[in-house]
Amino acid sequence: MPLVGKSVPRVDGPAKVAGTARYVDDLTRPGVLLGATLRSPVARGRLRGIRRDPSFDWTGVTVVTAEDVPVNVVALIEEDQPVLASDEVRHAYEPIALVAAEDPVRLARALRALTAEIDPLPPILTVADALQRKAQIHGPDNIFATYRISKGDAAKAIAESPVRLTGTYRTHHQEQLYIEPQGMLAFWDGRGAHLVGSLQCPFYVHKGVKRTFSLDDAHVDVTQAVTGGGFGGKEEYPTLLALHALLLAKKSGRPVKMIYDRQEDIEATTKRHPCEVTISSGCDREGHLSAVSIRIVMDGGAYVTLTPVVLSRSALHAAGAYRWDHVAIEAVAVATNTPPNGAFRGFGAPQTIWAIERHMDRIARELSADPLALREKNLLRVGDTTPTGQFLKESVGVQRCVEEARSASGWERKRATLGPAAAARPVSAILRRPVPGGSASRKARGIGASVFLHGAGFTGSGERNLRGRVAIDMFRLLAEKKPRFRIRTASTDIGQGTETVFRQIAAEALWVSMDRVDFATPSTATVPDSGPTVASRTVMIVGSILEHAARDLFARIEQDRQEHGGSFDDAALRLIARDGTVVSEKTYETPADVVWDDATYRGDAYPVFGWGCDIAEVEVDLDTFETTVLGFWAAQDVGKAIHPVMCKGQIEGGTLQAIGWALNEKVVFKDGKILNARMTNYVVPTSLDAPRFTTILVEDPYSKGPGGGAKGIGELPMNGGAPAIAAAIEHATGIVRDDLPLLPEDLFEARRAGT
Amino acid sequence: MNPAEIALYPFERPGTLAELCRTLSARAGRKERTVLLAGGTDWIVERRLAPPEDPNDLPLVVDVSRLPEMRGITVAREIATIGAAATFLEIKSHPVLSRRAPVLTAMAREVGAVQIQARGTLGGNLASASPAADGAAALMALDADVVLASIHGERRVPLTQFFTGYRATRRAEDEVIVRVEFTLPRTGAHQVWRKVGTRAAQAISKVALAAVAEVARGRGVRSGFGMASVAPVTVSLPSVRALGLAPSLASVSDEELDAATRRDIAPIDDLRSTAAYRAYVASALVKGFFRELRMAAGS
Amino acid sequence: MRMTFVVNGRSRTLDAPPLARLLDILRGPLGLTGTKEGCGEGECGSCTVLLDGVPVNACLVVAGQCDGRTVLTVEGLASRDALSDLQEAFVKEGGAQCGICTPGILMAAHALLATNPQPGEGEIRESIAGNICRCTGYQRIVESIRHAAKEQAARESG
Repeated sequence: MPLVGKSVPRVDGPAKVAGTARYVDDLTRPGVLLGATLRSPVARGRLRGIRRDPSFDWTGVTVVTAEDVPVNVVALIEEDQPVLASDEVRHAYEPIALVAAEDPVRLARALRALTAEIDPLPPILTVADALQRKAQIHGPDNIFATYRISKGDAAKAIAESPVRLTGTYRTHHQEQLYIEPQGMLAFWDGRGAHLVGSLQCPFYVHKGVKRTFSLDDAHVDVTQAVTGGGFGGKEEYPTLLALHALLLAKKSGRPVKMIYDRQEDIEATTKRHPCEVTISSGCDREGHLSAVSIRIVMDGGAYVTLTPVVLSRSALHAAGAYRWDHVAIEAVAVATNTPPNGAFRGFGAPQTIWAIERHMDRIARELSADPLALREKNLLRVGDTTPTGQFLKESVGVQRCVEEARSASGWERKRATLGPAAAARPVSAILRRPVPGGSASRKARGIGASVFLHGAGFTGSGERNLRGRVAIDMFRLLAEKKPRFRIRTASTDIGQGTETVFRQIAAEALWVSMDRVDFATPSTATVPDSGPTVASRTVMIVGSILEHAARDLFARIEQDRQEHGGSFDDAALRLIARDGTVVSEKTYETPADVVWDDATYRGDAYPVFGWGCDIAEVEVDLDTFETTVLGFWAAQDVGKAIHPVMCKGQIEGGTLQAIGWALNEKVVFKDGKILNARMTNYVVPTSLDAPRFTTILVEDPYSKGPGGGAKGIGELPMNGGAPAIAAAIEHATGIVRDDLPLLPEDLFEARRAGT
Repeated sequence: MNPAEIALYPFERPGTLAELCRTLSARAGRKERTVLLAGGTDWIVERRLAPPEDPNDLPLVVDVSRLPEMRGITVAREIATIGAAATFLEIKSHPVLSRRAPVLTAMAREVGAVQIQARGTLGGNLASASPAADGAAALMALDADVVLASIHGERRVPLTQFFTGYRATRRAEDEVIVRVEFTLPRTGAHQVWRKVGTRAAQAISKVALAAVAEVARGRGVRSGFGMASVAPVTVSLPSVRALGLAPSLASVSDEELDAATRRDIAPIDDLRSTAAYRAYVASALVKGFFRELRMAAGS
Repeated sequence: MRMTFVVNGRSRTLDAPPLARLLDILRGPLGLTGTKEGCGEGECGSCTVLLDGVPVNACLVVAGQCDGRTVLTVEGLASRDALSDLQEAFVKEGGAQCGICTPGILMAAHALLATNPQPGEGEIRESIAGNICRCTGYQRIVESIRHAAKEQAARESG
């Protein structure tokens, strides 16, 4: 009964389709109060105090300010972010005070009866202003982090190259827009602090609560509710929300539920880091790449949050899926007085992959080369070394991805037949000069490609430091005659299918049917810390710990069966009778041959990489510059697809987010505030905007991946969509865009400017 | 304000139009505000975004969605009559309208998505007087009349005169829009609904063009236009209309169309788009329509 | 205001402010939390229910206008013994990932198949264009609906 490789029915599916799955807003507790947040209306200022309107009846309303916070820091990489602002505000929407009341009308009125008294200060709103130190808003130089990666002598090699090109590429904010807003339910009892919420990482929240309230492990319990999407947006942010809810619960003595409304969610929570990348390259006239020098500048917003790790990943992906003899990468992340940016699928890689892919298209233009052929000449292979000096030992399926996508899409034919046939018609500036008329087709079609990679698992020594754990319990229910198994892990299902895929892995390794395997709700009181649900590590890393635990348990049962006879179940029941619940717990051991040096940023940046080739076919309406994606071919090397339908779901979902990032989504800031914080004007693709995907699973197994070689897949699809679309638009219209987004207005302006 | 605050508003449902008109008249006389609620798809969103009103001075919300005099779609002797409480869903699925006034049914099909079409009404769309109102643009191209009722009876206002400024109409405080009427375009008329939104569905127009034209022996004999989101009100494109009635459509040049379009619109930069883009698209859509007319006139 | 409507086949009478949202009536006093709130402004469709058989955003429908009408929510799709064809298809064909948009999409799809049992892909996509999904890219949802249509047709033809 092979389970791995089979697209079994989704285990949490029936509850979700029946409407019985309980998300945090579906939960309540007796006596619950509703909570809300008073936020800064300005991007920067000195907070003098909080004024309560004396004419408002404050009975039954709880107000919490910074004075009520025992340790006023949000514990993350650094502790620079306060739980509530105390004497200054560093970004618009920064939380200043909290309010709780029994009913929503009272709550809204109480919130309006509170005013934060702020003396505004001139905010730093651009990276340029921050680097020029127009004000000191973080440390001496407004810099959060810097990384350098170096191989060979890039400057010299570029200078000596026959073809030298430079370009600057920019990407913009993106909002995760999980359809379920952030939410948390908090209460205190004799056993300490309790939280149930929409979240990805229960132990991140656990750590933050321990720190702020000075509690030990046993007195904090965080449980994940069924979560309606995260994409990184519920990686670190929920810790802050949890602290808020707990503060109100503590002061009021009642349970507190806080659910963000959509506008608040878009305004106040983290976004993808905007980024500017400058690339200089050297190659020969045949397109053999030699050297690249890359400078990355990221806007981190007002507090550190996860910026150093995002920056790190952006640097580690900046050279793309290609072989370079000489590489120089410098990356810096900068503070501004905007809402802190944070984790979003891809986590720095989409930004730098956008840049390197657009740069490869620049080289292709210069050399009049087919963009895919140029890439193919230079793809990394097993035996090559990456910019950090990582020797690629195995599982580099990128060549096959290119071949599959190319043949499925009809690339050669379309490159030749589509293109700027009707595109070369200039737009007159402000209609003062006649626009040549005629009845030629007003639509242009094109096809473009991207090739990309994504390191699976934590960067560098991350997994080694983390030492994630997974446990499997074996027990017997009174009414049953066979053993049951329960997986205990901190890895959460946020839609990507953890609950199902982990059961497949465990059941297969235990040689039992899936219906005998349970998945414990991730709750810090009962599951071991497997590490966070991020970094494309859930199946590859945590799944391998699980597989190890399951195999170990199987071996113990087998050994007993060998010694005492009978069936597998007989042996299992004997062990249960002897030990009660039998537990198999394993800790992740980083393979000895994965070696990384944090000081020099050299070595094996990731245990293994996922690879992909995306090809997009578009039609651009030359009357409106609207881009329709006619077809999309995504060929991605996942190592081994444990659940093919879910794998495709990850690829299609992630790719559409990347397409949305390119064609529809834009966060509009003014004076550090967001103007379009609603779903009507922060625009994501609908079913009529989404193309038909042809999704090709390529399997180049990773020897240490579970289920016969699975690699991380969650983030890889985010990296290829945007540059493929830009390349296709370029092919269709001749418009070259090095910056995202590619809204109709952007294409129109580019055409007007003659680029 | 939040939904719980909206729930505090008082609510009434009159059983007949006459009852409604009496209520409106009495309240207008006492300077008390009344909200006419049909589908609610505009009003509820607008209340969510608005600051709260004084709870002691809330307007009365009156449900008009079930008034028989405001419902239904009829076609008789080439005149289409659409009740103000007819939904976009009813409009888009009407067989005669689909055949004879596809500009209207195509527009209805692109309002929001199914859920909005099921509740949104033409009356609500006109009363909101948003310059982005799709229904207003399509009806303007059809040269529709708006029929208003009050205790004094009915009066009609051509739609081209109905909007007086940004979100302002000729409807008096004691009046209600009961229906719209237009003469069906002749079979074979050229009709276009082209909405350029922020995405393919669930979108507000950046520019939308509605056009109805009848051509006979090379000349335009009916020429109606409505354009959304290019001015504080829905525009009827009068200069373009005039060109549409030219003695010889074949001789109308793109330059003239550009100039006429530019004369008739006043686009701005806003959250959804830019003035320059809107101007370009408005002109491109108009020229595209005339390209079609010229081809038909030529044959 | 006292109001009566039929919810999932049962007549329910309750007292509620007429301008309370149908969404809050369903999730609150009626205890039907299957219908979700994603945006509160009729953009995301996760609050879609059928009102007299037609999909609407329950966050934009006021309770007072539902008096005497019929409402169908996700809790009303399954029979006592089994999930509907649509629900089964979503479980098996990857139509649901995080599941928050799923109830709303099921309602829109249910309404589609009730009037158009053999929809083409374009019709399917149009019927769910008012339901935003951030997880799936829509393809698996379209496949699930297509699959359910086939199952339904096969069952009905014998």
